[in-house]
Amino acid sequence: MVSVELAIAGLAIGAVAALSGIGLLVTYRTNGVLNLAHGGIATLVAYVYREMTVEWGFPVWLSAVIAMAFLAPGLGLLLERLVFRPLARRRASAAETLVASLGVLVLSLGMCAGIWGLGTRNDTPSIFPDERVGSGSWSIEVDTLSTLALILVACVFLGVVQNRTRFGRQVRAVVDDRELAEMSSIPADRVAAVGWAFGTTLAGFTGVLLAPRFGLSPYGLSLVVLTTFAVIVAARLSSLPVAVLTGLAIGIAQSELTQFSVTGVFADTYRTLTSSLFVVVLLVLLLLSPKLRELGGDAGSAGRLSSREAPERGTLGERHKNLIIIFAGIVMLMAPLFFGAADLRKAFLVPALALIFLSLVIVTGYSGQVSLGVAGYAGLGALFSLKLEAGEFPGLPEMPGLLAILIGALLVAPIGLITGYPAIRRRGLALALTTFAVGATVTVFVFNQPDLSVGVYAEPLYLGGWMLNDKAFYIVEMVGLGLGLLAVYNLHRGRLGRALVAVRDHTEGAAAVGVDVRNLKLLAFTVSSVVAGLGGALLSHSTGSFSSTQFEPMQSLLWFTAVVVFGADSAVGAIIAAAFIVSINVFFPEGSSTLAVGILALSLGWLPGGLASAVRGLVRFVALRLADEFVEPEGTAPRPRIPSQAGVLTPAAQPTTGRSPAAVAPGGGVTVDLTAVDRVAAARGLTLTPFGRSLLGRLGGGAPAAALPVAASLPGPNGASPVTAGTGTLNHPEGGRP
Amino acid sequence: MFPSKDRAPSNAGAGAGPSAEIAAGSSASALAAAAAATRRGGTPASDGIELRLTGGRAGYGNVEVLHGLDLVIPSGKVVAMLGVNGAGKSTTLRVLAGLVPLRQGTLTWRGEVITKMSALDRSRRGLLLVPDERAVFASLSVRDNLMVVAEAAGYPDITPALDAFPKLRDRLPQRAGSMSGGERRMLALARALLARPSVLMVDELSLGLSPKVAAELFEWLATIAAGGTTVILADQYTEAALGMADLVYVLHRGERSFVGDPAELAHA
Repeated sequence: MVSVELAIAGLAIGAVAALSGIGLLVTYRTNGVLNLAHGGIATLVAYVYREMTVEWGFPVWLSAVIAMAFLAPGLGLLLERLVFRPLARRRASAAETLVASLGVLVLSLGMCAGIWGLGTRNDTPSIFPDERVGSGSWSIEVDTLSTLALILVACVFLGVVQNRTRFGRQVRAVVDDRELAEMSSIPADRVAAVGWAFGTTLAGFTGVLLAPRFGLSPYGLSLVVLTTFAVIVAARLSSLPVAVLTGLAIGIAQSELTQFSVTGVFADTYRTLTSSLFVVVLLVLLLLSPKLRELGGDAGSAGRLSSREAPERGTLGERHKNLIIIFAGIVMLMAPLFFGAADLRKAFLVPALALIFLSLVIVTGYSGQVSLGVAGYAGLGALFSLKLEAGEFPGLPEMPGLLAILIGALLVAPIGLITGYPAIRRRGLALALTTFAVGATVTVFVFNQPDLSVGVYAEPLYLGGWMLNDKAFYIVEMVGLGLGLLAVYNLHRGRLGRALVAVRDHTEGAAAVGVDVRNLKLLAFTVSSVVAGLGGALLSHSTGSFSSTQFEPMQSLLWFTAVVVFGADSAVGAIIAAAFIVSINVFFPEGSSTLAVGILALSLGWLPGGLASAVRGLVRFVALRLADEFVEPEGTAPRPRIPSQAGVLTPAAQPTTGRSPAAVAPGGGVTVDLTAVDRVAAARGLTLTPFGRSLLGRLGGGAPAAALPVAASLPGPNGASPVTAGTGTLNHPEGGRP
Repeated sequence: MFPSKDRAPSNAGAGAGPSAEIAAGSSASALAAAAAATRRGGTPASDGIELRLTGGRAGYGNVEVLHGLDLVIPSGKVVAMLGVNGAGKSTTLRVLAGLVPLRQGTLTWRGEVITKMSALDRSRRGLLLVPDERAVFASLSVRDNLMVVAEAAGYPDITPALDAFPKLRDRLPQRAGSMSGGERRMLALARALLARPSVLMVDELSLGLSPKVAAELFEWLATIAAGGTTVILADQYTEAALGMADLVYVLHRGERSFVGDPAELAHA
């Protein structure tokens, strides 16, 4: 049954997957970063390599050396220095690091798309001669053989370094606790940089090896690399040999599957399986393996991505301010109604995309889950509604367009529930990868199936017998967006909102105080999938037909990044993000929006909380400046001083101190001379807080001398004050206080 | 109970002297010189001042924790830094170690300005912080925890640490993360010892430890201090800290609210 030829053919792809896995593992093991940008870097290096050989006419060996020995490690060093070192410095959460690597991915894809376009190029030369070694069915391509040799060398080298050398020990120490490593004289930055350079070099190899085989396109190639995450998930992000063996095994298995064929309903499904086994294995591993739950720590808690601490307090002022913002938003959203026909059609995309972004706001901004599969839900919503409209949805009658859009979106709910249930039990990177795998699987098995998704067109919409024109459709979209906002609003306020924020900020803590974490997350996930489905349905209606490229898995990553950039917890940010992406796509060449989002994503290192939070901060800053300008500076001095009066006494009041019983015990009627303190305070224009007064009184009762430090904190000009005079010796030459 | 207690009375006896001098504004070198006589092998800086922080402001994000803190750490002394939770003790130590950047102010170490020096360079030159949490590499074995530091310090030999803490000898293959709190603190101090610090800062040594274990660790610190290492202790277990300290700082809300001889605080 097992064919040697097919096994050897399968080795080719398996070996590249293994190599990709080694690169990912090295980056993860040295930096604790699951590098989602691995595919982006692979793609970029492959594009540059192709440019050098095909366009500039460089010899293959020279291009390969430049690409793999200089460009790829250089990119790694650059990323470490500019993106990931600052994040590690400020102890950014794993979620932030994840988003940064997404930003790098989006940026590198944007660069590729911007420079070389989105089309697929099939002329990338292989670095190894296109020959075979061996004879008969036992012959193997030089390409594959070299890759296998490279894997072997890398594994042995890494194994020796990790277990036998001082550097390996340092690597483990840095991964364990980077700050502590620095405090222990271990050059953490150097370790991290070496890890990055090694990882990106292997990414470069992966890209250059894959490009001749799969064709070179920005999204396509990086998707192939992303599916090789199956390899490192199987290795539980630690074992190099397991990763290599898994890669080879999946490659061989996928190849062996091609010798069988299935007829009937599942023919297409099976054929898809023979080319997409990596995606399926990734999903199955993530769903079935209970041990993966703690993969990557708390990366799934996206609390730090959000800038707001709690649901609105609902003060009158806030509400008014919000009403103004909402009103301004409505005016802006209604503006396209006065556009020309062509421009209005382009504006159709904004509300639809905004709804998809809102669904991410629900799931990421409010319940703190990283979701990388939203395109899957949006696409399903689109497909369902179009099928309902055409009467092709199994088990349901044909229905008018508007109803079909609604029902289609609601039909996504069960799928959101089913996929959300295992997904929400995952945390961290596992959750991010699970949602990605769900999206990718849906794409491969549904959107890319010609029978299901080709030739699905949107019918004109009717309302009460009237055919809706473009303006009416835009208004329908507005209503849809309003429904989405209503969902967000209801999830965000009151009891439910508080509970969701509690879950986002501290899952265990929320569970400990009786919040039903699992059901809340599930609710958020399900509602989010429906909102995404509604957005998808409107998206396909605005373009007129279903297109699988609109909902391909890489879109999920781009969309998620965009939402985080514009403020993961901001509904307004989601709408602005949609308008931003659509207008960039209208005004600039293809791929520009990807590039723009990528650049913005990398600025997250300096703008925690996204653009929305930066804008909020700017507004607050301007408001404070204006307040400073127009409000009399009154009583600025006392603030830091009053507390220090109470505070100096607290060391003496520590219950653990040996003399505390004496100090805290209420003295037999002896009261401290508070009037002296008052006098000093008055001389300096201060007032004692009741708290400080009570502390002074209590403490002074048992241990009059405990009041001494007060003098140190109040070196008034009147040294004659009894308290100050008695404790002058405590003043340090550096001056007691500024 | 605490070996340093033996020293405390003599300190207290002379206590009024040095601290009065400090208060009177005379240089701290007299104090340092007096102390150097009681220590072995100390190599105090020329003016007797190990670290000097002037007008230090630091914080996290929008929150400023230290509001213009002035500190003078004399060479070869034990300095206790006291204060309630949130007073800024840990932040002060992290500033001194280079983990939290100073927003304002200067930090000098033996006369050299090190405000911009990285944490790595500071630790390489012997300015060492044992933090209150995560003080060990939890996923590394005890042996690797010790080795990695010993190698970084240039003396790949862990026997001094094992001699100082014989209990660790039985635990060498064990993962550090699986040890008890007290053992972890022990390992952290052992690692610090291997790094051959000239200034050893210990944050919350006694936090979460039984009095007996804490006493042992304080005892060990006292011997380190007796060897001439400058020791800075941030602790709430004030009796022990005061017992061994030559100088006490009390912090409150990021400012200094008391500085002087422990005897004056303790006997007040």
